[in-house]
This record gives sequence, structure tokens and C-alpha cells, in this order.
Amino acid sequence: MVDYTALLPEGLLIVTAAIVLLAGLFITQKKILGYITLVGLLASLGLILKDWNLTATFDSAPFYGAIVVDPFSQIFGAMFLIVGVLVAIAALKAYGDNPRQDEFYSMMLLATVGMMVVAMSKDLLALFIGFELASISTYALAGFDKRDPKSIEAALKYFLIGGLSSSLMVFGISYIYGLTGSTNIDTIASVFGANPGLAATPAILLAMVMLIAGFGFKMAFVPFHMWAPDTYEGAPSIVSALLAAGSKKMGFAAAFRLFIVGLVAMKVDWYIAFMILAVVTMTVGNILAVVQTSVKRMLAYSSIAHAGYIAVVFVVVAYWNAPDSAVNLAVTGGLMHAFSHAIGKAAAFIAVAAIAYMILSKDKVDDPNHVENYDGLGKRAPMTAFLFALLLCSLAGIPPLFGFTSKFVLFLSTIEAGLLGLAIICVLNSALSVYYYAKVVMRMYWGEPKGEAFVESSTYTFVLAIAVIALIVLFFAPGDMVYQWAETAAHAVTGV
Amino acid sequence: MMDPNLTTIDFRMYAHWIVLLPMIGFLLELLIGKYWWRKGGMFATLSIFGSMIISYGCLYNVYVQHLGFWEYSWPWFYDGIVAGFVVDPLSLAMVCMVSFVSFFIHFYAIGYMSHDCAKNVYFAETALFTGSMFGLVLANNLLQLFIFWEMVGVCSYLLIGFWWHKPEAAAAGKKAWMSCAVGDCLFLLGIAMMYTIMVKQGITSEIISFNAIFQNLEHLSHEALFGVSALTIICILFMCGVLGKSAGFPLHVWIPDAMEGPTTVSALIHAATMVTAGVYLIARAFPIFLAAPNALMIVAFMGAFTALYASTLGLVVNDLKRIFAYSTISQLGYMIAILGCGAVLGVASVAYALFHLVAHAFFKALLFLSSGSVLHGIGNIRDIKEMGGLLKGMRWTGYAMLAGALALIAFPLTAGYYSKDRIIEDAYIYATHGGDLGYMVWIFLVLGVILTATYTFRAWYLAMTGEPRSYPAIHPHECGFWMKTTLVVLSFFAIFLGIITGGGKDFWHFLEETFVHETHTATGIYPGLNLHEIAHLGGNTLMHHGAHPPSWVIYLPLLLMIAGLAIATTVYYKNRIDVSKYVKKDNPLYQILWNKYYLDYLFKDIIAEKIIMTVFTFWDVLDRYVIDGVVNLLSWITIQSGQVSRKLQTGIVQNYATAVIFGVSMLMILVIMIRGG
Repeated sequence: MVDYTALLPEGLLIVTAAIVLLAGLFITQKKILGYITLVGLLASLGLILKDWNLTATFDSAPFYGAIVVDPFSQIFGAMFLIVGVLVAIAALKAYGDNPRQDEFYSMMLLATVGMMVVAMSKDLLALFIGFELASISTYALAGFDKRDPKSIEAALKYFLIGGLSSSLMVFGISYIYGLTGSTNIDTIASVFGANPGLAATPAILLAMVMLIAGFGFKMAFVPFHMWAPDTYEGAPSIVSALLAAGSKKMGFAAAFRLFIVGLVAMKVDWYIAFMILAVVTMTVGNILAVVQTSVKRMLAYSSIAHAGYIAVVFVVVAYWNAPDSAVNLAVTGGLMHAFSHAIGKAAAFIAVAAIAYMILSKDKVDDPNHVENYDGLGKRAPMTAFLFALLLCSLAGIPPLFGFTSKFVLFLSTIEAGLLGLAIICVLNSALSVYYYAKVVMRMYWGEPKGEAFVESSTYTFVLAIAVIALIVLFFAPGDMVYQWAETAAHAVTGV
Repeated sequence: MMDPNLTTIDFRMYAHWIVLLPMIGFLLELLIGKYWWRKGGMFATLSIFGSMIISYGCLYNVYVQHLGFWEYSWPWFYDGIVAGFVVDPLSLAMVCMVSFVSFFIHFYAIGYMSHDCAKNVYFAETALFTGSMFGLVLANNLLQLFIFWEMVGVCSYLLIGFWWHKPEAAAAGKKAWMSCAVGDCLFLLGIAMMYTIMVKQGITSEIISFNAIFQNLEHLSHEALFGVSALTIICILFMCGVLGKSAGFPLHVWIPDAMEGPTTVSALIHAATMVTAGVYLIARAFPIFLAAPNALMIVAFMGAFTALYASTLGLVVNDLKRIFAYSTISQLGYMIAILGCGAVLGVASVAYALFHLVAHAFFKALLFLSSGSVLHGIGNIRDIKEMGGLLKGMRWTGYAMLAGALALIAFPLTAGYYSKDRIIEDAYIYATHGGDLGYMVWIFLVLGVILTATYTFRAWYLAMTGEPRSYPAIHPHECGFWMKTTLVVLSFFAIFLGIITGGGKDFWHFLEETFVHETHTATGIYPGLNLHEIAHLGGNTLMHHGAHPPSWVIYLPLLLMIAGLAIATTVYYKNRIDVSKYVKKDNPLYQILWNKYYLDYLFKDIIAEKIIMTVFTFWDVLDRYVIDGVVNLLSWITIQSGQVSRKLQTGIVQNYATAVIFGVSMLMILVIMIRGG
């Protein structure tokens, strides 16, 4: 008898989603569904944190080794669930009076399940199913404000480019299956390991490029990123939080699983290709963030820049001279940075939602996200401004926040691998990014207030405070909790 | 009869609360202190009382119950840097002293600051200071110590400038910060260097924790830089930090100005606790200094020179608080000097230095608090020329100050007598082993005694006896309950601390166990150190048996003290000699002293304004036209490229799809090119 308790977190979410959908048909006080969602997410998160380094395989029916629970899937699961919790609490405020909120919560839960399945996948088909579950749920979420044309436009762009990318991905998977006769990642890796010639065939090149494009869409690598700013800007802010913090990390989960194992087995020089992808992504993201006037759009570009930082992991993994310790450090740093960015970016988008809500309540403006409306926010909404400033500091990588730690470990790995040039590019990019974060902070604290003080929403402030406290605690965490977790996860996925 | 339950509590396990409680007190005081009892002060005072209980509990565990020394640590940073707390006689002596003095100064401040409108901010800052001081003392590694070291510096800056509306106070805060920053930068450099040589020697766990450094001193002593032992360079860099924080020559210039802060701050930070952090650093890092050739010699000389130098300055100042400020510098010099004598005396010198440190904390806090009471009583007049005859109106304050003054000049049977005479005797033993420079150290310390007695009683006589020389001094008003209580408690310890501790012997025996006994940890035991071997690494030879100096050496300080006292009595009490004949502007010696050896002039007018400003002006031109030009060009390029690539983001989804296909094609071409080439 196989023990399925390791799958309890995902099961719990599916059950919660079903309860929320069903109860939504009968209940009139729909706000309670938000609390049910929150309980489901927290219980699931609790289960994962309890067994953070659990390893369980499911080789027999009905899974046939397609999924595995290991520290890698657990750390990503925790990441998705934390984002889910933050978004769910914010949704209590944002959609507390919305008659369709049951749909919001159930889709959010299913998207989270999809992301978690991707992180657990050992099989390309399972991975694809998880990918699509998360994608389709988030397509609908992006257009959730269906009376707002911008939201609809955002959803449509996301859907169209998403469809294109999914087709490329399946195309790539089909080639890989054709060449190796399997969709299991471990089997694929061993086939490549046994036949070095196979890795050099044009077909496998095509397959790899297709997969990079497919995952790169979610991760928002340049040039597959163009949907991202439009969608993040147009979608409701708390959905943008889910997209930028959750669904983007799903892309990384998939890419880590496939590319790291695949590349290590193939021993092929992909490093220049990834180097160009990473450097172009972070540079384009940062430069475009500098010229944005909308804070929300600036966060979208900063999210692209962060994808570029995490892409450094693939450069180090693909670099033939990198010692094993550097490879592990890079994956560790990548996981840590994904973690810190997930918390920081989710909360930053929620802060934007909170600020927009306050501005719309008092001021007559067209675009509440325009940076000019942030003038003097430090006086008008002291708590929100202070917490938002700290979140931006974490994104910029300023201690004592976890964003510093994760960036430090990530960049350190490039030096360990001997890629000094890349390290310098990363640090310069990071320095450039301080400009646009600091610009917002300066406007909040040195700008002239445009009106009287706001009434700050306690729900939003609570979410932001949790995120900030988490980032500070993780920086000072005794024994580097996340570092060790990420290191264990890195071992699980690199196997060295 | 002791409560049987109390004896089973192992307070050592709660040592972190010594640090945390005042931090919590700081937050509560800052956030809600204004709305509670007397508008501030309760949380800070209570939290420090809590720390005091735990501190004395730890002392009971270690000193009475012999539970052993305790250290616990947890991983903190990558590459093996740990954080943790160490409970041993050295840190216990400090936390017990700091918590006791700090508690009573808080108690006093409830009365002293009662008219201030920002009371809760004041108490929040002193609580934060006290917590940081505990953190500094209990730290088991250099990095943690440094962080708290900077935090006490920040608190000192904030509190000196607490009355920031006075321009002198704001300027004094800045001066303190700048002077300490010079030392702190070099101290940090020393820590970085220590880290580097430890990594170079292949030490991977608990890097820069004191224990790891001590256990590996033999390897570390092989490292050299420019032909000098790296440890010596590190010790000199540490010494720079010490000179800044503990006001050693030439970085002492900030202390007299720091007297612009509230008197309680002067007592707590600039007399009893923070300024002793430097002395504590040398004591804590003593084995490193011992293993570094020549390092302790420099320490001894700098300390002795500071001791004499500052006491000459104390002779001519007329500001009551500044007289005591110079005496603080001078006494810190004594402590640093005896630590330097450790090259011969070994760990005993740490014990002597710490005993003087503790005794000094009591009597110097007392002197400051009683002068605070004087200021409070006659309306903030600080010039002793405008006082006189105050003893009639304020007996409690006057006699409390007398008690402090007697302890300061080492009058027999007071605390200072046991602590300071021991230092001078052992400096003589050091001199007999340490050559000519050793005698110089001893002579400086001995000469300091006579000057100390003179300037201390000059201040006391001028303030307390004779006729009032200004209107407010005719009717001084005595301080209230809170302040009186504190003065009485501190007077008791200033007088009797030596006798309670069996002439200091109990204290010394306890402190001499530091380093040489093993320390328990959660996972094992750190063995004790063999200081004789460590001393050999630095070319030092420790004495095996306690030597006794000739009896004339023992009585000399006493005679000199009486001579100094006699001079002060003749001149300032009996008025037999008219000093105004000598204290004139055309007397060159007086000119030099009055201008503090022109050190302020050198620092501010020559170094700061002439040299540094010239360099900065040049740099400014370079910066404005060359560097700014490059930076502006870069930012122009960045923004222009942003504006151009922004145009690619058309908002039309067909173009986005084209970009995806373009990306796929480019990747294909790229990979094929790499493969083909």
C-alpha cells in the first residue's frame, strides 16, 4: 500500500477549491469563502513546513513515477502557498463585496495546485498538465475585473501568447519523446548520458529551444516577456501579485527540474545561450523599469529583471568549468532568490493595490498607479508607505532584508564558478535597479502631499506587515533556515 | 535562607534576555512610554532591572554554585560565522556592573529628567544603549561585538545631542561621532584582516569567534604582512578602535565636549559604561594581544601617556563636568596601561584592569551624578568659579561628591585605593621586567596620582567650600528622593567596594579564571588556554609567581596622593597661595594647558580645514566636471536606450507573438553557430 500522505497539501487545496465552488452556489455571505480558502492554504502550508525535507516517490499506479515529493517540490510549494496566503488575505479586502468572489478563490486555489504539481513533476506530461492547470486558471483571473477593458485586454494578451508558448512547449516535448522514447526526466537524462552523440543532433537542439521558449514565456525572459508588462499592469493588482510571484516561479520550477538535470546529463555547451538570455533579460528589464512612470508597470519590469538574475543559475549550471560546489550554490541562490522575490514582489503588488484603492477614494485621478500620485505618501499613509519602502528595499537587495541575502548568495555563486564578468554585470544591474526603487521612496517621503491623510486599510497593512516581518526574520534567521532548505533542495535536483 | 527553587534556576540559559529585555524596553518606551507612569521611564527602568536580576543570577550560578562558564552560539552567516553569547567572569563582571550602574542612573533620571518634555525618548535611548552595551559585552565573536559597538556609538551620539536645540550639544554629538568613526573604521579593518587570515589558515567553522581565534593563535601567528606579524597589525588596528571609544590620546578630544548632554548621560555613557568598552575589548581579546609581538607594549605606553596627559588638562579646566571628563580619560588610561602590563603579568592584569573599571564606574558615576545634582540645584551653572560654599545648602550632594572624590584619588580604604594602587604596584613589576619603556609607564602612572589628587580636590574645594561666588550659589536647593537614593547607594559602593571584596582579592581570583578555565557549550567543551604558550608566540614571558615590589614603591602612591591633596588644600581651601599670579594669559605653560596642547586646533583648523578641505576642493572639481560628466553620460545612455526599446512595446499582440518566434529563431541560430564553431 503506497502512502499518499505526502500529497495531502495538494489534496487539501483541491478539496478546498471544490468546497468553495459548491458553497458559492448557496451561500449569500460569500466573504466566508475567503476565510475557508485561507484556512485551506494555511493548513497546506503548515503540512509542508512540518515535513520540509520529506522525500516520497510514487512509482506505481496511478502515478507511475510521474510525480515526486522532495525538498525541491516542498520549497516551491511553500513559496506558492505563501504567495497564495498573501493574495487571499488581500482579496478579503479587494473582493470582499464582489458577488463572484467564489470563482476568484477557487481559481486561485486551482492555480496554486497547478503550480505545485509542476514543482513535483518528474515527467514532462505531468509537468505540462500542471502548467496548463495553472495557466488556464490565471488566464481567467487576469480578466477577473470583466467590466474593466484593461483587465480584459491583459487577459487576452496573456492567453494568446500563453497559447503560442504552450504549443511550442508541447512541440519540444514531442521531439524529446521521439528521441528518447520516454517522457520521464530521469530516463531522458540517462539516455542522454549513455549516448553522447544524441545530444548533438539538430532535433534535440530544436526541442531544447522550444522548451526554453515555452518556459521562458512564464519566466518572462526577453524576448518572450512582452506580454508581461501589459498583463501585470492591466490585470487586477492582486492577480498581478499571483502572476509575478507565483506563476512566474512555476516557470522556474519547471526549468530547474528539466534543464538542470538535462544539461548536467548532456554536458553540452549551452552556456553562451543562457548567458545572453540572462544578461539581456536583466538589462532590458532594468533599463525599461527606469523609464516607467507607472509604479505598477515599473514593478512588472523589475520582475523581468529579477527573472534575469535567477537565469544566472542556468548559466552556472551549463558552464563546463563550474565546480559542483558552485553549481549547488547557484541553484541554492536561485531558490532563495525566487523565495525572497516571491514574497517581496507579491507584497509590493498588494501595496500598489492598497495605494491605488486609497488614492481613488480621495483624489480625482485617471491613473492611480502613476508615480506622481505617490508624492508625500509617507505623510498621507505612513504605515503603507513605510512597509512599501521596505519591500522595495528588499527587491533592491538592501540589508537587513532577505532580498539582500538571496541576491548575495546568487551572485556569489557566479564568482565561485569563475564567471567574474557575469558577476560584474549582475552587480551593475543591481546598482541600476536601486535608481527606480529609490525614486519611488523619495517621492513618498520628500514629495509634497497632494491632499489630506488617507484612512489606511488594516487588511492591506496586515498583509504588508507579514511580508516585511518575514523578510526581516529570514535575514536574521538562526541557522539560515531558507539557505539550508534551498541547499537540500538543490542537492535533490542536481544530484551532486 | 535562600529560596531552594532559586538555587536550581540556571540563569546562564537566559543570558540572551539580558540583551533582549532592554531592547523591548526601548520599543515600549518609544511607542507607548508617553502614556504611562510619569510620561516615560517605567519600561526602561523595569527592563534594566530585569536584566540586572538575570545578570546577578548568572553571577550566582558561576561564582557561588560553580556551574562553570557557558557559551552558546548559533550559525549566523554563510562561511561559518556564528552569533552567540558568552558567560564567563570577564563578561559577568561587566554585565553586573553595567546593569547595576545603569539601573541606578535610570532611577536617578526619573527625578533628574522630570521636567523634560521628551522624557520617553530619553529613556528609550538609554534603554537601547544599555541593551547594546550588554550585547557588546556578551558577544562571543568580533562581528557581533562590532555591531553592538557601533550601536552604543549611535546611542551616545543621540544622547549627547539630546538637547539638540543647543548648538553646542549638536556640535558635540557630531564631534563624538567623527572621532569615534576614525577609530571604528580601523577597528573594522582589523576585523576584516582577522577574517582574512583565518580563512587563509583554513579555519572554516566559527570564524572570528573569540574561541576559534584563541584556539588557533599558533597558526595565526605565522601570518605576516610586510615582515610584521599580522596579529600585531590587527592589534594596532583594534587599539585604534579602543582609542576612539575609550578616549585614548589622541582621539580623546570628543569626551569633554560630550558633557553637553544631560548629566545622567555623561554619568552612564561617558564615565561608567560606554567608554569602558575599549578597555573591555582589549581584555576580551587579551590572548590575541599576548600572542602579537610588541602589541602590549604599545597598549601600555599609550595608556600610561593618556593617564598623565589627561590629568594635566584637568588642572586648568573650570567646568565642573569637564574636570571629571578629563579624570575619566585619565583613569581609562590607567586601565589600558595595566592591560599592557599583561605582557609580564598575564591574565592577572585583566583582573586588575577590570577591578579598577568596576570601581571607577561606581565612583565616577557618583561624581557625575552629584555634579548633576549641583547643576540641578543652582540652575545649570557649570563653572566652578561661580560656585562656592555649596556644602551648606546641599549636604547630601556635597558629601556624596566627597566620597566619589576620595575614591578617585585612591584615599586609603576606599574602592579606588585598592584598585589603583594595585595597578601602580604591578606597573612597577612590569617595569622591572620590561626595560626602560616599562619604567616610563610606571613614572607616568605615578605622576598621574599627584595631579589627580590636586585637580579633584581643587574642584571639590572650589565648589563646596568658601564663600558663594555667584547669586544662584547662595541658595542652592537639594535634590529629591530619586536622586538622593542613588547618591547614597553609589557612595556606599564607592567607599566600601574594596573592603567588600576582601581588598579586591575575591574579585581578582574570580577574574583570573577567565581564559584559563574551560567553557561549556551546548555541544561540548572549549578547553582552557595555556597563556604561557600563547605569550611565547608573541615573544613575551609571563611571570610564574607573584612578585612583590619594594615597600617604597607600595607607599609612594600614597605619599604622592597626600602631597597632591596638601597642595589642593593649601591653595584652594586655605588660600595660602594666590594662584592668579600664575594663572595668567602670559604664562606659556598655562597657555598650552588651557588650549589642550593645541590638539583641537591641530585637528580642526589644520587637518580638517586646511588639509582635508584642500583635498576635497580638488576632488570636488574633479567630481563635478569629470566624474559627474561620465555618470551623466551613462544615465543619458540608459534612459535613451530605455526610451528606444520602450517603442518596441507596441501593445499589439501580433508583435509580441512575432517576438517569441524571433526569439526562438535567434536561439536556434545562436546554438547552431556555437556548435558549428
